[in-house]
Amino acid sequence: MSIAQKRISRRKFMILAINAAGAGAGLLIAAPIVGSILSPIFYKSKYPWVMVADIQHVPVGVPTAYVVMVDQGGDSWQVPKVPRTVYVVKLNLINQVQLIALSNVCTHMQCDVHWDINLNVFFCPCHGGEYSMDGTNIAGPPPQPLFRYQHKLVGNTLFIRNVLVGGS
Amino acid sequence: MADELQRSALVAKLTRPVAGLMATTYRWVDERLGVTDLVHQLLYEAVPKRGAWAYSLGSATLILIVLQITTGMFLLWTYVPSTTEAWQSLNFIEYHDEFAAIVRGMHLWGAYVLFVVIGMHMVRTFVSGSYKKPRELNWIIGVVLFLLVLGLGITGAMLPWDQAAYWTATVVTHVVSYLPIFGTQVQEILRGGPQMGPATLTRFFAIHIWLLPALLVPMIGLHLILLRRHGEHGSWVNYEGVEEETEAERAKRMANAEAPYPALPSDPGYAVPMDLDEFFPSQVFKDAVVSFGLVLLIFVMAVVIGAPLERAANPAALNYVPTPEWFFLPLDQLLVQFPQAWMIPVGVFIIPGIGTTLLMLVPFLDRTPGRQPWRRPEVMVPALFVVLFLVFEALLAVNRLFNL
Amino acid sequence: MPLIASTTPQLTQVPISTGMATALVALLMLAHVQFAAWQQGGYIILAVSDFMGWKRKSANYDRFSKGLVTALGATFAIGGSLAIFAVMILFLGLWGHFYVDLQKVLFWPFVGEAAAFVGEIICLYPLYARWDRLGHVRGLRVGLELLLFINASLQMLLINVVASYMLTPRPAFNLPAILLNPTEIPLEIHRFVGNIAWAGAVIALVAGIRLLLRSGRRPELRPYLDWMGHYGLIYAIGFTIAQPLVGWEYAKEIQLHAYASWYDMMLGGLSVAFLFQVFLLGSIFTVGIFYLWRRVRASGFRSPALAVCTVLSFGAWLLISTPSSLAWSYESVFAANANVPIWQGGLLIPWGAMIPWKLTALVAFTGVTIVALTIYLKYASRGKLRWGDAGRGQAFSLIAVGISVSLIMALMGFIRESSRGPFLITNQMLINQQQNFSPPSATGPALNGPASNAGVSIILPTELHP
Repeated sequence: MSIAQKRISRRKFMILAINAAGAGAGLLIAAPIVGSILSPIFYKSKYPWVMVADIQHVPVGVPTAYVVMVDQGGDSWQVPKVPRTVYVVKLNLINQVQLIALSNVCTHMQCDVHWDINLNVFFCPCHGGEYSMDGTNIAGPPPQPLFRYQHKLVGNTLFIRNVLVGGS
Repeated sequence: MADELQRSALVAKLTRPVAGLMATTYRWVDERLGVTDLVHQLLYEAVPKRGAWAYSLGSATLILIVLQITTGMFLLWTYVPSTTEAWQSLNFIEYHDEFAAIVRGMHLWGAYVLFVVIGMHMVRTFVSGSYKKPRELNWIIGVVLFLLVLGLGITGAMLPWDQAAYWTATVVTHVVSYLPIFGTQVQEILRGGPQMGPATLTRFFAIHIWLLPALLVPMIGLHLILLRRHGEHGSWVNYEGVEEETEAERAKRMANAEAPYPALPSDPGYAVPMDLDEFFPSQVFKDAVVSFGLVLLIFVMAVVIGAPLERAANPAALNYVPTPEWFFLPLDQLLVQFPQAWMIPVGVFIIPGIGTTLLMLVPFLDRTPGRQPWRRPEVMVPALFVVLFLVFEALLAVNRLFNL
Repeated sequence: MPLIASTTPQLTQVPISTGMATALVALLMLAHVQFAAWQQGGYIILAVSDFMGWKRKSANYDRFSKGLVTALGATFAIGGSLAIFAVMILFLGLWGHFYVDLQKVLFWPFVGEAAAFVGEIICLYPLYARWDRLGHVRGLRVGLELLLFINASLQMLLINVVASYMLTPRPAFNLPAILLNPTEIPLEIHRFVGNIAWAGAVIALVAGIRLLLRSGRRPELRPYLDWMGHYGLIYAIGFTIAQPLVGWEYAKEIQLHAYASWYDMMLGGLSVAFLFQVFLLGSIFTVGIFYLWRRVRASGFRSPALAVCTVLSFGAWLLISTPSSLAWSYESVFAANANVPIWQGGLLIPWGAMIPWKLTALVAFTGVTIVALTIYLKYASRGKLRWGDAGRGQAFSLIAVGISVSLIMALMGFIRESSRGPFLITNQMLINQQQNFSPPSATGPALNGPASNAGVSIILPTELHP
């Protein structure tokens, strides 16, 4: 009787050990994998300034596209500079001219928007989003205005960096 | 007894073309590996007799998935999963390696045909009510397989890293950012950083060639094991007159059922089809004809049309119009129909999510007796509207994209 | 590219005012559309019924198919002669330039149209004249019916190309672009579905009227008429379910590609007609669901679910029929500077707005009708409805649905054709200036939306590719 009981408890111990070993091994394998998958969240990117153009050449009230090579951020074995389109817009306000550097990435699904001269809007062909000249979303599915690149002026030369701020 | 006879006939058949040493060798191997038993198990089972051409869709799906795995393996001989070289390696295939271009074409057209065939297989199963007791779990596994194949389709579309691939990847990885709370984090995990980059491509490459197939293959195995366990249900034509049957007739039919029937637990009368046939060669013949036709179609399309390769990815594009693959057109149209911040998750997650959940739960929602589609309006009418909805959405999306 | 107008022969103008000519053409076309749509929808119902009668050995289906083919043959004769009359006399005589010039842009669609018309005659005549004899080879008869339906569908597809082209023209002489112009697919789906619903509504209407007549009380006829009304009504509301979604997309495309027309329909002078149109839509759904509920009740089954569906549909009907302003159109509201809510002294009624209220009502109709139809078919498919139980209420419901569908068809055609405003072909040809037609060019003016480049020079940003 007592031997049988002892055997059963021994059997229980072994089953417990099997489960524990399985769980432990699984944890040991899973932890680094999960860590490596999650690593992009914790990386802080650095974005240097890049030159865009001499703003004297930009007409007032006409969104003008420039392609600049920006750092794309993130951490990887290669962080190549990627071409991005910047729409430099001089807004003609009542008593001043305001300069903004719009990203041409739609805020809906990140397709490429372009300034449509017929519609007089920034138009996104993917799902028909429309933005006004200052980047405000005026029609279609976009949930927010076009993002703006952080920019600074050194004399008449416009510099941007690949940090996007909310528009309007 | 009958089994034993069949078995010895099979051994004779398998060894007939060879004699002497070869036959001896076969027996030696057979005794150790059990080849004959395996072949016997695979080929000899009862299947429903009527409507057998419609049941060849399942095996066609299997053949096409095998085709995808095979062509995919050999595409890896050239393809380089890197943002700088992926496009170049495929460009090389397209213009300097005619046979590899055909392999690539077959991989693409195989995927297209696979979607059509899976859709038809699913409709066939749905219309005939084959998901009913005891086959509920196999339906759910089938839905999971369908979702996995959709995932394979969308991740595969990202790999060429041409304009189409780049913008597909951008849109797909941006969709997840509308998830509540963790949206941005999930997007960064998928992209390997805040924006599209080299890590994005390697991640989706890994998902496409390892993660999803590693889930797909065992699920297919499970699907087939369950199919063999329950036997094929067939459709209502195999159960004509079961309602008028007397208890005695039914009991007799159950008792005389060939393996793997009777499929239990089952609604009364639906455990055994009225007429049975042999899987080999009757059903296999039809499967072979259909599968061969499809593979031929894929081959011809691969040679004649091939797989397109657009210009290399350009993140600074201004006038590029990203168009989704055709099987994602209804979802793309939903994106148009649900504008503004609070509605986007409805179109992106809630409606497709509800649709998928309902699809999975079909066996538990359908409480109708009988198997004829016209006697199950509770499921057939809503399903008809869902299918119509998908078709209309796709047509409207085509119209929208054509007339941009 | 040679100008079409230079090769057009000078046509003598018929001495009749433009307004009179327009009214004559419009009247004839509205009648023609009702016939044509009934034919196309009727053919597929005929094929389905004959097939069901064949496979299910049902006397009702057999009797119905035979009656339907006789009716279709007769109406085809009337509708066909109307069409020929329209083309030969009215179009060539009153709108000569328009018709000749349209022929040049849309030559191949018109040729296909004529060919399909001949095909329709070839298929329909044997069915009409030798129905019983063809019954010996039942598969052939069903096949002929399907061929008939395909012919009619092809005709409708091609005439939809013409109709949608007139609303949203594309660059001339580019056949794919003409065929797949922005509103072609939405219009095609909208009418394809609508025609079947319309044919079902006609059947329901006929059944409803005959149920009320004295002969409808005869015991051998009443069960059949009851069944026929149910059968037609299922087509009528079942296919109308798809219409809100497709119609919404259709309007979306018009908004993008012919903004002026869209504005006229939704906010301008035609908005009243559009309001009446959604009222009719609500009537189809609500009365249809009411029929389903009462028909189940007539056979002795209480269905609280169907009652709830009727109430929900009625609520949606009230919501969708609410006008958005107290004036005839938004234009007059803006003109009176009264575009503020009614409690602030303005003319706007918030509950009549398109978004979200009318949209909510449309979604509600779609969902509720699918549910109601499913519940009803559950009763019908389990053989729980005794044919012959229908009362006067059901007969009146059937008639109401039939009339609503007929009116909505006529009104939709009127709205679509009038929305082009002064144009016969949007931005290309004015209704009273048929002589000045020049073909739409690839770089033609695009009037998509309110464009104003006042005093600003726009430089097109060049496309940038590394």
